[in-house]
Amino acid sequence: MAQPGAALNWLPPFVLGLWGAVLLQAWGSGRLNLLLQADFHWLVLVSGLLLLALAGLAVRFAPKRRSGGTPALVMLLAAPLVLLIPPRPSFSTLAANRSSGALEGESETLTFLSPPEQRSLTDWVRLLRSQPDPELYRGDPVRISGFVMPTPQAAPVLARLTVRCCLADATPVGIPVIWPEGASLKADEWLAVSGEMGVERVGGVLRSVVIAETVQPIPKPKRPFEP
Amino acid sequence: MGIVLKLGMNWPDGSQWQTVWAVFQGLLLEAIPFLLIGVAIATAARAWDPRGRWLQRLPRHPLLGPLSGAALGFALPACECGNVPVARRLLAQGAPMGASLGFLFAAPVLNPIVLLSTWAAFPDRPWLLLLRPLGSVVIALVLTALLQQLSEAALLAPDLLEERRMGQPLATASLLDRRSGLIGNQPLSPTPAIAAERPSMAVLLDHGLREFLELGSLLLLGCAIAATIQTLIPRDLFLAVGQAPTLSVLSLMLLAVVVSVCSSVDAFLALGFAAMVTPGALLAFLLLGPVIDLKSISLFSRIFRRRGILFMLAGVVVAVLLIGQWLNLVLL
Repeated sequence: MAQPGAALNWLPPFVLGLWGAVLLQAWGSGRLNLLLQADFHWLVLVSGLLLLALAGLAVRFAPKRRSGGTPALVMLLAAPLVLLIPPRPSFSTLAANRSSGALEGESETLTFLSPPEQRSLTDWVRLLRSQPDPELYRGDPVRISGFVMPTPQAAPVLARLTVRCCLADATPVGIPVIWPEGASLKADEWLAVSGEMGVERVGGVLRSVVIAETVQPIPKPKRPFEP
Repeated sequence: MGIVLKLGMNWPDGSQWQTVWAVFQGLLLEAIPFLLIGVAIATAARAWDPRGRWLQRLPRHPLLGPLSGAALGFALPACECGNVPVARRLLAQGAPMGASLGFLFAAPVLNPIVLLSTWAAFPDRPWLLLLRPLGSVVIALVLTALLQQLSEAALLAPDLLEERRMGQPLATASLLDRRSGLIGNQPLSPTPAIAAERPSMAVLLDHGLREFLELGSLLLLGCAIAATIQTLIPRDLFLAVGQAPTLSVLSLMLLAVVVSVCSSVDAFLALGFAAMVTPGALLAFLLLGPVIDLKSISLFSRIFRRRGILFMLAGVVVAVLLIGQWLNLVLL
């Protein structure tokens, strides 16, 4: 018959291994693309492998009696929740809660510019903030993708989230769009927009705006964040 | 708009809770590797110097002690989740209090990764690159001096205190602290792990594992609180005070506590609102977050008693507020 403390003896290494599996599952399933900037993914992979290895070693070199069962129980209860309930963040909810941020390098004049039709939404925002004269871009072709972000008292903008580390630091960047007549827009929906850059006057100030010609719903990209 | 939370009026809807869950996972999965690194360094220190003979040689001078601890940040780069187990190990092995606390409070800023990311985010503000590490050292000195006003028995968590006492000559402990003989409680018997000259692989693994699970369970709690608050409270509330000198510093300090972003990337987050706030508020954000935030505050319960945590909180808030105010006075 098993000793009363035997389960407690095995619990900590089991929980450690379980968290190793959680990290590996997050890495392997692509879930990390929704949570962390790509530069940090390898850290999660290595940590998952290390936790599994350490769990194996802890079983191999088991002391006669282990302590600290309560934290192990807390971690034991949390692991299946993280493993089984995938993250489904609403980007527009995140974006509505946060101010649009400045982007690295935008205070300087950009020295390298890709052709207009190859610029991503973030490239355009960076450029427009670096050199804001809207007449410079009038008529330039635009092909960008992003999610629909509602804005108070104005038409929805097309937006992306820039992430440096994890979702906690996600910051929205959006670009105003003149949508085609009758376009139905739902918050969080991902769209590919093509058209040209135009100029509009808002509150007496001229600004660049994308004049959308075609709007095509697309699936959420595998890696939806921009650095 | 439905997706904007009206504080106190609407219960968060499904998409908001799903976003809370995602932010929680993001914070947690990003922090676990750093926690593992911290526990690994702490376990290695235990294996390398089981009686703390080398660590106890760190300076005990009231100024040089914290400075040497802060300088260890360059050798042991860890952000705020990883440095708690390392600082705890320093204390447990009997390292001088000043050096251990100096490491605890300054190492999350004084490491190459954090300084490089600060420079990358703010190449046009050299004063920030100078004042961030400098301010961090000042805060470490202030907090170390403040916390040392408490006796070790009043400051340190009971199990840490016990382990620290075992590693030190008995003569260094007061009769009350020894809790032996005629005064105080029952004498403490040294645990086999501490009594052993060089711990076995089984003991090392068991302690490392226990430490990881204990800190991990506290980290879960911190991440859950941080994710909930930062998703449900609009960030603009913290930035609304803009250029008001004192309020902007206070509100950015509050934001640093709430967002709980790792110190290696917080400069990039600060870049997003740097133009909207005063220089003092910006510096305050970059100084306070690495010392304390919602994600890491629970971890401190493994080092300090409640009174120590309250002292630390009061000290760091006052110190950062004064530094932010001073900078605003100089630059505005």
